[in-house]
Amino acid sequence: MPTRSTPLADTTARLDIAADLLTLLRDTTTEPRPDSQLEALTLAVAADLPVLLWGEPGIGKTAALNQLADALDLPLTTVIASVHEPSDFSGLPIVGDDPAEQGVPLAPPDWAVRLVRAGRGLLFLDELSTAPPAVQAALLRLVLERRIGALRLPPGVRIVAAANPRSSAADGWELSPPLANRFVHLQWAHDTDVVVRGLGGTWPRATLPRLDPGKLPDAVAFARRAVCELLTARPGLVHRLPSGETRRGGAWPSPRSWEMTLHLIAFATAAGSSRDVLSLLVRGTVGDGPGLELLASLDRMDLPDPETLLADPAGAVLPERGDLRQAALDAVVAAVRSRPERPRWDAAWALLVKAVESGPPDVVVVPATTLAALRREDWDVPAAIERLAGVVSLSGRADRAAARTAAAEEAVAKAGR
Amino acid sequence: MTATETGTGTGTLDRDKLFAARLHAARVRPYLATALFALHVVESRRVPTMGVDRHWRCYVSPVFVDRTPVEELAGVWVHEVSHLLRDHHGRSDRVARERGLNGPGDRLRMNIAADFEINDDVYGDGLARPEGVVEPGDLGLAEGELMEEYLRKFSVGPRMQDLAWLDCGSGADGRGREWEFGPDGAHGLSEQERDAVRFRVAQGITGRPGSAPQGWRRWAEEAFHPPQPWRELLGAAIRSATSGPGAGEDYTYGRPARRSTAIPGIVLPSLRRRPPRVSVIIDTSGSVSDAELGSALLEVAEIARAVGGRRDLVTVVPCDASAGFARRLCRAEGIHLTGGGGTDLRAGFTRALRSRPAPDVVVALTDGQTRWPGTRPPCRTVVGLFPRGYDGHAYDDHAYDESNPVYVPDSPPDWARVVDIGS
Repeated sequence: MPTRSTPLADTTARLDIAADLLTLLRDTTTEPRPDSQLEALTLAVAADLPVLLWGEPGIGKTAALNQLADALDLPLTTVIASVHEPSDFSGLPIVGDDPAEQGVPLAPPDWAVRLVRAGRGLLFLDELSTAPPAVQAALLRLVLERRIGALRLPPGVRIVAAANPRSSAADGWELSPPLANRFVHLQWAHDTDVVVRGLGGTWPRATLPRLDPGKLPDAVAFARRAVCELLTARPGLVHRLPSGETRRGGAWPSPRSWEMTLHLIAFATAAGSSRDVLSLLVRGTVGDGPGLELLASLDRMDLPDPETLLADPAGAVLPERGDLRQAALDAVVAAVRSRPERPRWDAAWALLVKAVESGPPDVVVVPATTLAALRREDWDVPAAIERLAGVVSLSGRADRAAARTAAAEEAVAKAGR
Repeated sequence: MTATETGTGTGTLDRDKLFAARLHAARVRPYLATALFALHVVESRRVPTMGVDRHWRCYVSPVFVDRTPVEELAGVWVHEVSHLLRDHHGRSDRVARERGLNGPGDRLRMNIAADFEINDDVYGDGLARPEGVVEPGDLGLAEGELMEEYLRKFSVGPRMQDLAWLDCGSGADGRGREWEFGPDGAHGLSEQERDAVRFRVAQGITGRPGSAPQGWRRWAEEAFHPPQPWRELLGAAIRSATSGPGAGEDYTYGRPARRSTAIPGIVLPSLRRRPPRVSVIIDTSGSVSDAELGSALLEVAEIARAVGGRRDLVTVVPCDASAGFARRLCRAEGIHLTGGGGTDLRAGFTRALRSRPAPDVVVALTDGQTRWPGTRPPCRTVVGLFPRGYDGHAYDDHAYDESNPVYVPDSPPDWARVVDIGS
């Protein structure tokens, strides 16, 4: 007996040491780190919109879902789509005593029963793109209609799907435009810094957004205004089917996806999320072009109201960035043009002086020229205008540079002839 | 006044001169004004001339501003902002990753290649060329190419030292410089803000196409939709056509499912794979060159592999004004592609669809100078278009037919998925 027990004890001891090593390897810490893509995912899931994560295999989508489930305090159920059959999602037929009389009931799979019984949870449908077409069809019905066989998923269950991008999917999988239009498409990429630091023992712990109950009405009003203002100005963006091979299977604008965008703007606003997060969400819902137009129009909505600026030039705060500052000043001049009154004209000059004193003078040239042209005969030139003398000489300097360049070009052209 | 024109010489940054130059640049290139004004100026004594970082800060040497005339400074402004608009730092990082270019000399080459891409068409037309600016011609290279292409065509040598005219900062080549603030510094633009500025510039250019030169128009069209490699697109289109429902793998009731034994008395569908049949119509008319036919044949071999290696399932139909016989790919390693003269792909379609068993997918490789079938064929259709004319839109212009000069070819029909084949 001792001859047999020694090697056995030895093996157990070796496995214990291996277990110790594994424990050490698993012993990692986390640190808070802002993560735009995780925040975008959280907001879309909170808004109860179907999310489709696009990412290469092995990029950490599952890890992100684990983190999301922790953060939302939901049990996670992962279903690998490619190893299932369509009947696993539409229900397995169960033969009773008299099929002709009572019919054949379709039994849902166990995980679905458990999800429904729990009433809440996060369902992650992985590898959607590598499943056969019939399985995909069954899965998409699950995502979009929330039905598995005869079961209906309760509202507390949130669904996220993942797919490999077309270039790396084995069979060139893609969504048809009507299906693509129902998803929020999030591109999942890895951040080298995060991976290196994580392998070194410290993984990021995303600070997840919380909706501020006090901000809800304002958030809805803001979202409605943002979408409606853009679509009023650009009616062509309301519905535009994707054209061309490169844009197939991605997000595109339609009344449905604009409504999703509206929801997402409201959620991002209530959560106080950054524009980067909102950009991921909006571009993932209506596509790059319309999404960027929406964001550009939000930038313009952020500009100070010209009437507020004119009412109190002394206390006015102008945007720091040159292009936005010029846009704000242009808006002020346009407001004066629409209702030309002496005090407003003077206030506009005061604003231009303020702009020159607090930032680059070249952005003031165009608004100043336009404002000067608005002068009525009986309006005296305000004293403040002298402080804009530098702007006039700057403009003259640019004119002279233009003249010299033109002369040099002409000389070259002559010599060439 | 002349004193200020030539510089104050005191070593402080002559802001008026710098901003007069920006104003001049914005006047002669109005479509770049948004981007020019979005740049935040940082005075720096350590930067050799002027440089940008990827967060749209512009580092300026006071000495450089002093010694450079206003009109040349305007050229430098446009040069630097072009690096940012064209995303040279992001593209440099990508190239470095793809080709394993990690040496310090490599980033210098990227800066020079990026300068080539900008400088070959940015000056003139009211904008002075700064002194000592590098152009592709200095190394005997052709103009009008992209940074990635230039990068393949020259190596670091002793002549490089003269070419390193501007150190354009990390905005040009992605390598951080010691004078730069980094992502946490003040007045940087976030990724979303950078995209928004680039988008507004692109929109301004596409909205008023007359005012911007060809190079900028092309940039504007591709800024947010970079062209994808055509091989991948064509492969994806064919694979998706062959793997879609009704072709290739799907569920069938024709044989018992693996679960059938568990549920007796019930017929479940089972998974069955039937490799798809592909017919390739190759345009062999006179307007398609031998080189293009060669690459078309290569693609046929690719398609054969894409559908699972069954070369006997791929048939090839050479077609000009009439269609030749359909041949199995396995039989004809060197398929004899004869032809010339005009094209009528309708004959090719008829021939391809008449073969039995009928194909699941028809792929037509053509230059588009043809008539198309009037009705939708009963199978999926992918069209690979060889480039003709400008911009790769083969069917837009440059109609070509000796016998009938006013003949304008139809564009490929809606029911076909069209992939533009590049060079």
